[in-house]
Amino acid sequence: MSCTIINKERTGVINPILNCQPCGAQYAGIGIKDCIPLVHGGQGCSMFVRLLFAQHFKENFEIASSSLHEEAAVFGGLKRVEEGIEVLARRYPDLRVIPIITCCSTEIIGDDIEGSARKAARRLKELFPDREIFLAPVHAPSFKGSHVTGYNECIASLVKTIARKGEPNGKLNVFTGWVNPGDVSALKGYLKEMDVQALVIPDIESLDSPILPDKSITTYGSTTVEDLADTANSVGSLCLSRYEGATAATFLESKFKVPAVVTSTPIGIKNTDAMLQNISRMTGKPIPESLVRERGLAIDSLADLAHMFFAGKKVAIFGNPDLAIALAQFCHEVELEPALLLLGDDNSRYAKDPRIVELQETLECEMEVVCNADLWDLEDRIRNKGMKYDLIMGHSKGRYIAIDANVPMVRVGFPTFDRAGLYRHPIIGYKGAAMLGDQIANTLFAHMEYTRDREWILNTW
Amino acid sequence: MPMVLLECDKDIPEREQHVYIKATGEDTTMFLPASNVPTIPGTLSERGCSFCGAKLVIGGVLKDTIQLIHGPIGCAYDTWHTKRYPSDNDNFQLKYAWSSGMKEQHVIFGGEKQLKKSIQEAFDAMPESKRMFIYTTCATALIGDDPRAVARTVMEERPDVDIFVVECPGFAGVSQSKGHHVLNIAWMNEKVGTKEPEIVSPYTINFIGDYNIQGDTYLLQEYWEKLGIQVISHFTGNATYDELCGMHRAQLNVVNCARSAGYIANELKKRYAIPRLDIDAWGFSYMAAGLRKIGAFFGIEDKVEELIEEEYAKHKPALDWYKERLTGKKMAIWTGGPRLWHWTRAVEEDLGVEVVAMSSKFGHQEDFEKVIARGRVGAVYIDDANEKEFFEVVDMVKPDVIFTGPRVGELVKKLHIPYINGHAYHNGPYMGFAGFVNLARDMYNAVKSPLWGLAGKDVREVA
Repeated sequence: MSCTIINKERTGVINPILNCQPCGAQYAGIGIKDCIPLVHGGQGCSMFVRLLFAQHFKENFEIASSSLHEEAAVFGGLKRVEEGIEVLARRYPDLRVIPIITCCSTEIIGDDIEGSARKAARRLKELFPDREIFLAPVHAPSFKGSHVTGYNECIASLVKTIARKGEPNGKLNVFTGWVNPGDVSALKGYLKEMDVQALVIPDIESLDSPILPDKSITTYGSTTVEDLADTANSVGSLCLSRYEGATAATFLESKFKVPAVVTSTPIGIKNTDAMLQNISRMTGKPIPESLVRERGLAIDSLADLAHMFFAGKKVAIFGNPDLAIALAQFCHEVELEPALLLLGDDNSRYAKDPRIVELQETLECEMEVVCNADLWDLEDRIRNKGMKYDLIMGHSKGRYIAIDANVPMVRVGFPTFDRAGLYRHPIIGYKGAAMLGDQIANTLFAHMEYTRDREWILNTW
Repeated sequence: MPMVLLECDKDIPEREQHVYIKATGEDTTMFLPASNVPTIPGTLSERGCSFCGAKLVIGGVLKDTIQLIHGPIGCAYDTWHTKRYPSDNDNFQLKYAWSSGMKEQHVIFGGEKQLKKSIQEAFDAMPESKRMFIYTTCATALIGDDPRAVARTVMEERPDVDIFVVECPGFAGVSQSKGHHVLNIAWMNEKVGTKEPEIVSPYTINFIGDYNIQGDTYLLQEYWEKLGIQVISHFTGNATYDELCGMHRAQLNVVNCARSAGYIANELKKRYAIPRLDIDAWGFSYMAAGLRKIGAFFGIEDKVEELIEEEYAKHKPALDWYKERLTGKKMAIWTGGPRLWHWTRAVEEDLGVEVVAMSSKFGHQEDFEKVIARGRVGAVYIDDANEKEFFEVVDMVKPDVIFTGPRVGELVKKLHIPYINGHAYHNGPYMGFAGFVNLARDMYNAVKSPLWGLAGKDVREVA
């Protein structure tokens, strides 16, 4: 059938799918241990992102602001960055990494944060001769790209700033892309199962953090400075995302000859197969029997759902491009029809993304891909253009479209603040595929019951 | 005790000017925390920006108005799905965020064309909406776009629309407070007096500084209706754009949130001689006192007494039930500013709860004067508190519950302390008599949870 790839026709944005670059850079920054991102801009640029993270994770994260005010807008804000770095270093004795994240304002002013970082580094050396604090400049002007590119930029800057050539470590770098703590748990499970020593960048499993009897707070990522430094010495880099982390992986390849494989997010059976085969190929470790069984369990449970409940159902998908495209691939595997794919920024590479090309070739249904899309592209189709979707898959910012049009919606991606605990539930890997299948089915089942749409089928299922 | 330098602030000694512990016999002529001054970079303050003070707090509440943000996408994204102010027209204002989606080429060549197209598209997409606010942001202010000129052109082309421009980039001022001020004054200068309201009652007020958080406005509206008082404008809970153009016709301005909206009340007094009456809409004693003042102003004391009696009969027993169970509990309030002084004595008198620490993000000197006058001896009063200070103060005062935002709330959870959303409420409304029972209920449910007891136990220790 046909697949059309278009750009959003409107100029402005009504209900954005993605946030701006500084948000993504901050998401990457909180994944590092002993790290406090310093956002160089107005206070809202960090305060609202912290709120967004609190909504998604139900956790608080340490992110600082240079608190840019008028005088900085006129005379430049570098003094505030330098002061911010020093205040952080003084008050947080364990601090080892500060990503310095610019925003639209400070990019327009033209603040030289590299120069500032050098100056601040000299000052820190005087103040704390026994400490090494890495300052990673992250250019994240909000008027370019989206939170996806901001994330990519911050991971790249952290690796560029900290990676150091040393002895070969026999480890595999795994760049996760923008995922959830539950996904990282699942990923680490696979690595363990395959007996692979890996550097997971960033390891955000611990962003889902406990209330402990001693009241200690451990709400930060687990990737250490040593891990980042050691990425230069690994056997290879596997980047599980094309747009979120690939720059770091290719940097390690060109600078330190660490071979990079940039692949799809392991959502669905085929993408998980590819991940495991890549891990096996890059490390020489075989894929164990246990994973053959886990794969079989996933296919077994999806087979109960696919041709009976999923086949022919039209799905509208939106979110981060790697996620949205992989979800479309997953839909294809389980006979759901990815009818609409909304990619929320203006990256010109999407049209040539090999996964989109493959979908174009293999799908039997019509699929519309809208680049630089917003959520009005979905609402307008439903409200004014007579398009019908049986399911919406995306993050919570699209909730009212589903509620108002009475279309069942599976919350997936970032942010998901209107359903409990989703950050904990993996959607990657075979188990994640099975769980995502369950989530889709149960959402459709609840909708059948509320709308009395052949709900009696479930009497005997 | 004078100002206090907390242990965590030894490297930023200027913070001493912002932290005060009240001692017997002291008043605010002797000690007053510094406030409304720039934040020290890198301190992990809780402050937002002035853009959000204008858009998220005041303008975005309007139920019939397109809120178009001229700038990169983040400013729209971040001020969407972050407030709990419903409306009686199916929550139009909660559902949408509009942005001109500024990109690099607009930074270089100017964003006015982009803005104009975005305005047209927004009106085309939502043909039933004829009113718009446009906000500038850091980026568009720095490049010098003239959104007013663009708005004028659009209004010429579309005579049925009305557009109001708020020029308040995030870097202006030191906190969201600046945004409140800019919006208040600009609205006063440009829009008040441009529409004539229909007067249907001999008693008319504007109710200023209430944003219909979880239905506060609806709840108070029941009182106004029972008293036969016409609210010409709610500034801005559940309000329409046009209703706010008629503020000049009220006989009295009743102000709840003096920090975010006292400015417009002052201007209405100066320009239209409308008196300003400040009340506290939270708490039984305060609400009753506020209603009595309004009753006295209009000479409808009997009606007011009847209403208060009715409300007390209906809700006081529930309040007392909670008071019995909450008396002696210790509470901290870490919110924007005014709720410190609105709540500190209200919870003490109505619920027996002691407020032991308070922090204000953007309060001014007059807010601290009020809260220190009303607050307890021994309580800690902080301006623009940062994360380390929160930890230290919690250790000092050991609160049983903290009224604050979700970020700090998630933080104190780890310290086995429940939080109640002090900005958007847990299950409100909290204003008025019924509302304060809701607040008491939420506080009681928070502190009585068995989970806090379980959290402190180590499973490895034998009981």
